[in-house]
Amino acid sequence: MAKKEEAQVLGSAADESWVLSSLEHDQLVRAKKHHIPRRHLKGPELVVLWSLRLYLLFMMVVVGYQVWIAAR
Amino acid sequence: MSVGSQSPGTAETGDAEAVVITHEDVDRAHDRVRVSAARGQRGFFSGARLLWLLVGPGVLVMLGENDGPSMLSYAATGAKFGIGFFLPFVVLTFCMAIVVQEMTVRLGAATHRGHAELIFDRFGPFWGWFSMMDLAIGNFLTLITEFIAIRAGLGFFGVPPWMAVLIALVILYGALMSHRYWTWERITLAAAAFNLVFIPVALMAHPNWHAVGHSFITWQPLPGFNKDVLLIVLADIGATVTPWMLFFQQSATVDKGLTTKDIRFGRIDTALGAALATAAAVATILATAPLFAHQMSADNFQAGEFAQALQPIIGRFGASLFALGMVEAGIVASITISTSSAYAFGEVAHKPHSLNLPMRQGKAFYSVLSLCAVAAAAIVLIPGLPLVYVVLVVNVVAVLAMPPALVFLFMLVNDKEIMGDLVSPAWANVLATAVVLILTAAGVLFGISIIAPNIFAALGGK
Repeated sequence: MAKKEEAQVLGSAADESWVLSSLEHDQLVRAKKHHIPRRHLKGPELVVLWSLRLYLLFMMVVVGYQVWIAAR
Repeated sequence: MSVGSQSPGTAETGDAEAVVITHEDVDRAHDRVRVSAARGQRGFFSGARLLWLLVGPGVLVMLGENDGPSMLSYAATGAKFGIGFFLPFVVLTFCMAIVVQEMTVRLGAATHRGHAELIFDRFGPFWGWFSMMDLAIGNFLTLITEFIAIRAGLGFFGVPPWMAVLIALVILYGALMSHRYWTWERITLAAAAFNLVFIPVALMAHPNWHAVGHSFITWQPLPGFNKDVLLIVLADIGATVTPWMLFFQQSATVDKGLTTKDIRFGRIDTALGAALATAAAVATILATAPLFAHQMSADNFQAGEFAQALQPIIGRFGASLFALGMVEAGIVASITISTSSAYAFGEVAHKPHSLNLPMRQGKAFYSVLSLCAVAAAAIVLIPGLPLVYVVLVVNVVAVLAMPPALVFLFMLVNDKEIMGDLVSPAWANVLATAVVLILTAAGVLFGISIIAPNIFAALGGK
């Protein structure tokens, strides 16, 4: 059914080439199915990410405590 | 590129890879053709048309962030501290928002990928899920507060809660029904423009313009340094920079189809949105400043209560506008925040995620969007739930969650492999680092004020 809808949207090869010429290749839905390669995180980057993660977890506990105090 | 003959909707690229043209591609191509046509012409009107075609994500994200809890924060700021330090401070927070949001425009235009997708792809699922968890929790709590604002604002006019929530959901679905990003964006922009209603409300409050000018120049009078001030500082920061904004603007930039040629207009869009949102935020502080002058306690005021308190000062019409402004703030934010959740879900689950999708092809995207909105709306209708605590902490939680989100953004926007020449220049990195440090310092001070009041007092706090 979905293919039928697409066929109605794109009636001819000219239409297809019009779409391809209007969009950058990376903008096509099909192109987005390719994953961008993963990068290796370096030591200092991991330290920063973990520090901020722990900071956030700790602060969430603080917010919970504040709500508990306010509720009392 | 040569066009293949296999079937309609399928073409061959130069590298012999089959490219299926989808409905989403066709809609986006229509938008790009209009942009290309406007760009091909010269003159003022062509430039204005190009701007008209390319504005959207920046204005929406900034006015969307002027949401229910944000407007309540600004109203509480005016009522508790009057005209002074917080007027220029709010302008500063929006400057921080411009610095941060501009990066998402560059990322979206350069990679054509959403924020969640990039985090998952570049840093892996471990960090990706952390990031998604922050977004999902923050978005859902914020969505609840949007419906609280809508309910409270319409409650001023005697509208029962169930009907208030229903009206908001109908508007949300009305914008979605076009299944077209462009139409959705224009409908939401039209609704967001109503945020400026706080400007006439401020004028009705007859602010002391001399005091306003003085505060912008001198940042005085200062509010002192205590827990209440710190909470308002955090709430006002959280009213301008939050994680959902990063995810939304980047995904909307991609969905709109902006390319690297459009980055300049993306910046103008972001700055324009920030200017409009600043005007509305400052106006809200000015509108409620008379409550400070009249020594009225605005602790735990909701939208309707602010409107009622202002009625003797700005009249029934002004109070009605104020309440309607709160309703608008909630509705626009509920649209943009639920959309940001749906974009992120689609990107991570590799499901189609675009407002250009017909319902049949975008079932998962529209289902998540609807589920978020309906669940938050339903929670607001449960009688007896202590929702006031959600309102109190939602902006604070947003500020606390920002540093980790910003570090991901910072790393992505400086990633030469995906950004090429569009990596951040040194000055932008300095500004972004300053924003991260300010937000982290504000969060740490808040933590100290709660768990170690003695140390907070030693630092000069009360």
